[in-house]
Amino acid sequence: MVSKWNYKSDLWIDWCPGCGNFGIHSALIKALEDLGLNPSKTVIVSGIGCSGKIAHFVNVNGVHTLHGRAIPFAMGIKIANPELEVIVHGGDGDLLGIGAGHFVALGRRNIDITVILHNNNVYGLTKGQASPTLPLGVKTKALYWPNIHERVNPVLLALASGYTFVARGYAMDTNHLRELIKKAIMHKGAAFIDVLQPCVTFNDIYTMEFYKKRIYKLEDDPNFDPIVRKDEETLPKYLKAVEKSLEWGDRIPIGIFYINENVSTFEERLSERSTGYKEIPPAKSIIEEGKPIIDQETFESMFKEFIVNVKKHQINK
Amino acid sequence: MSSVKEVGVILGGPQGSGLETSMNVLARALASRGYWLIADREYYSNITGRHSYIHMLVSSDKQPRSLRYPVEVIAAMDAETIFTHFLDISERGVLLYDTYVSSKTLSEVASMEEHVKSRIEKNIQRLGLEPDVKSILKHLSEDKHISAIGIDYSKVLKNLSEKYNINARFLSRYLSGLIVSAVALILGIEDESVKEAFQQYFKEKTIIAEQNFAIYEMLRKQLEEYIGLVKLDPPAPRHSKIMVASGNDVVAMGKIVAGVRYQSYYPITPAADESFLLEKHSDILSKYKQPIGSLIVLQTEDEISAITSAIGASLTGVRSSTSTSGPGFDLMIEGISWAGMNETPVVITYYQRGGPSTGQPTRGAQSDLFNAVFAGHGEFSRIVLSSGDHIEAFYDTIMSFNLAEKFQVPVIHLLDKFLANSLATMDIPSLKDVLVERGYISKGGTGYKRFSLNSLISPRAPLGSEETVMWYTGDEHDEYGHICEDPEIRVKMYSKRIEKDKIILESIPLDYKFTLYGGSDFEYLLLGWGSVKGVALDAVDKLREKGLKVSYLNIKLLWPFPTLEFRDIVKSIPEDRLIAVEHSYGVNIASLIRQTTGININKKISKYTGRPITLSELLISLDKIISKETNRVVFTYGE
Ligand SMILES: Cc1ncc(C[n+]2csc(CCOP(=O)(O)OP(=O)(O)O)c2C)c(N)n1
Ligand code: SF4
Ligand SMILES: [Mg+2]
Repeated sequence: MVSKWNYKSDLWIDWCPGCGNFGIHSALIKALEDLGLNPSKTVIVSGIGCSGKIAHFVNVNGVHTLHGRAIPFAMGIKIANPELEVIVHGGDGDLLGIGAGHFVALGRRNIDITVILHNNNVYGLTKGQASPTLPLGVKTKALYWPNIHERVNPVLLALASGYTFVARGYAMDTNHLRELIKKAIMHKGAAFIDVLQPCVTFNDIYTMEFYKKRIYKLEDDPNFDPIVRKDEETLPKYLKAVEKSLEWGDRIPIGIFYINENVSTFEERLSERSTGYKEIPPAKSIIEEGKPIIDQETFESMFKEFIVNVKKHQINK
Repeated sequence: MSSVKEVGVILGGPQGSGLETSMNVLARALASRGYWLIADREYYSNITGRHSYIHMLVSSDKQPRSLRYPVEVIAAMDAETIFTHFLDISERGVLLYDTYVSSKTLSEVASMEEHVKSRIEKNIQRLGLEPDVKSILKHLSEDKHISAIGIDYSKVLKNLSEKYNINARFLSRYLSGLIVSAVALILGIEDESVKEAFQQYFKEKTIIAEQNFAIYEMLRKQLEEYIGLVKLDPPAPRHSKIMVASGNDVVAMGKIVAGVRYQSYYPITPAADESFLLEKHSDILSKYKQPIGSLIVLQTEDEISAITSAIGASLTGVRSSTSTSGPGFDLMIEGISWAGMNETPVVITYYQRGGPSTGQPTRGAQSDLFNAVFAGHGEFSRIVLSSGDHIEAFYDTIMSFNLAEKFQVPVIHLLDKFLANSLATMDIPSLKDVLVERGYISKGGTGYKRFSLNSLISPRAPLGSEETVMWYTGDEHDEYGHICEDPEIRVKMYSKRIEKDKIILESIPLDYKFTLYGGSDFEYLLLGWGSVKGVALDAVDKLREKGLKVSYLNIKLLWPFPTLEFRDIVKSIPEDRLIAVEHSYGVNIASLIRQTTGININKKISKYTGRPITLSELLISLDKIISKETNRVVFTYGE
């Protein structure tokens, strides 16, 4: 399908030559093209790091936020205007280190947002320190000592947090990643893709060679079906996804681990509290210049619990 | 006893025993009778057991603005209240107590902190009394002619339980009603007013209202000879409907009128009650007449998420805000700096409490002035507004949204616990004069420049505008919002974001900068901001009655500071006749004024116990300062 929009911005992209981020960028652009998303209704919200700059390299709305805070910014945008397609991009330090609390919270809320993790095992932009996904004892190039922290498993954490679409991609397999991104965007609820991303400058352990030998695709296994179609499938499929997420070593799975659209989205939950939400979400409420939208009578009836009728009063109006 | 214009009341008891309910019901009963009142709630950071109390002032002819000691009536739920407050009852006043505690000794009061206990013990010794309730009661009635009226609380509640077949386990829930009833009887409020107050407060729980009123009826018989013992004058005429609300409540109401559509919060005292009220009303916009929108109130995972999600919502064109106190505000600062960098409107309602750190979580303070004004890295425009009382807080809330949008800056509405948790009667705010101002909203379009350098205020198009893409970044950026480190662009963008201060100062009307009370003929000028206004105005009235020309300057716009107008207003008197008052150690407004105007204020009145400055404290300190006895007075009264 030829899209009527050009998603590539003409800015010079300042990632190191050969960086895995280029693969993620192309996969994203292709996914946007395939879906034909309207740039003015699409927002890329990114954190801080080499990865965070991606918001500027795509011709849709871009909000390049604070280190670790892309998710809550995105949440405010999406909740206020659910019509927008919101995609979060962040590094492993960003999303799973400084921003880990928000990462967990988004899963619990199941807001219809896609989160793409640029997982390069290092803090790229601050010159190669260990990130939360670097295993214990591993010493990448810029480290003086081997890593003293154990790694966090992003896929497992996403499953534990309640993301209802959980996948892993590989930055250098752009066609595979493009399909994952499309499915994640189309998914109703919080979607997460852990993208294994070589950092050619600071990560000399998790290199392209490393991944090439080990990666296999979950979809190549005809017995593995990650989609929960009926409620009773939830537990077995979830457990299978957890089991797959623990596979790491000689064989590293990429593809979709888990999809469950039976979970209520945050938008649905909000509609229960604020019944007008679907029809008139915050961004569609009209707040006009001039008189407030609420008149005196409405105001007094809204807050009648605070209004007392005075007995035997003499009106002095 | 002949009737009086004004009555001070303290209701005391353990935290968690329903004193807040007592305050709310009693206030409604008094209001429905036509009286004016203010009620401060003092409590520990504790859910159950520690001493808390309500300190009220009720007036028959005008809105009380400050609290005073001693009070005419104290109603004690427990012995601790008697020990803590017996010195606060005026001569010929009334103490209502539970006969069950008559035999209690001070050492038996386990919930009292040791420091408090030894301080009270010294007071008791000084008076030559024994550290027990009996001795205190005897002293009160014999030496101070106080009517100590004992009520057997458990007997009253037992009668109630028999009448309504209430499980004994739930009886303590009716203590609050007992306290309301006893006080209402002493003040001689009409039955109907008490009844309706219970009904209004308990709403659909009609049986609870009925049971509480049954307590009132029982006590009416029992206390027959004391009804109207402390009688208020008949109330002066006032409007047929009045509002009784706390600071948290009025801010929530102001937000709804202003059109807030996204409010985030992470629970913290004394801010959370505001969000609670908004949450309760989050469906009103959909339910009213025809749907006019939706209000999303969201408890986030932390204050960082609270501010950043509110900013996110704002990027879509929505009026958004968050509420917090010191610890939460500290976590929000990086977000506020992002909002400054990205010319994004957002309102932060900041209720100060005692710091540093968790400090005094449930006590009041005004010690965060500098935090509100200066926190954040880099330099950028912001607006900091304060409110002197409930009504101001309502209108200032609306103003905060207007200013945020007009100037595309973060607005910090700086309040405090005193205002947040105190209840006051007030005229119902009139929406007639409320104006919504949204500032420069652009339609965007191809080639849209969010940060256009053509005007000091940038064209703001919401995310999602048709045929429009835009970029935002915390990095320095060009007009499109793309990262740009060019020194020329840097200078233009950086100074643009700061120089907005100038038009902010030019556009904000004088009465939103500060208000002078007392008259322009002043020989001394007391000045301050926020909740010291009430006590300051009362002090000014008292001093003017004595012929001393003192006025009060209530500063509302704390940042950008209205330097020129300030210099102008104080120019008629020498610097050494300026006196600043603040709930902080530093009386930091004086430093802010020196920094922004060059004017030195070295006369300072301070209190940082976490308890409100009382009228007598302020009068004493002004006397000392005006008589040149001292330049600095620090007060500590109140438990
Ligand atoms: C609050 C804060 N702390 C620290 C930094 C400095 N900083 C910038 S990028 C970064 C780490 C980036 O690592 P990651 O998130 O993995 O992104 P990558 O560069 O690897 O894509 C840090 C710590 C910052 N910008 N903000
Ligand atoms: S430092 Fe690593 S992650 Fe960053 S741009 Fe270079 S290669 Fe990519
Ligand atoms: Mg990284």
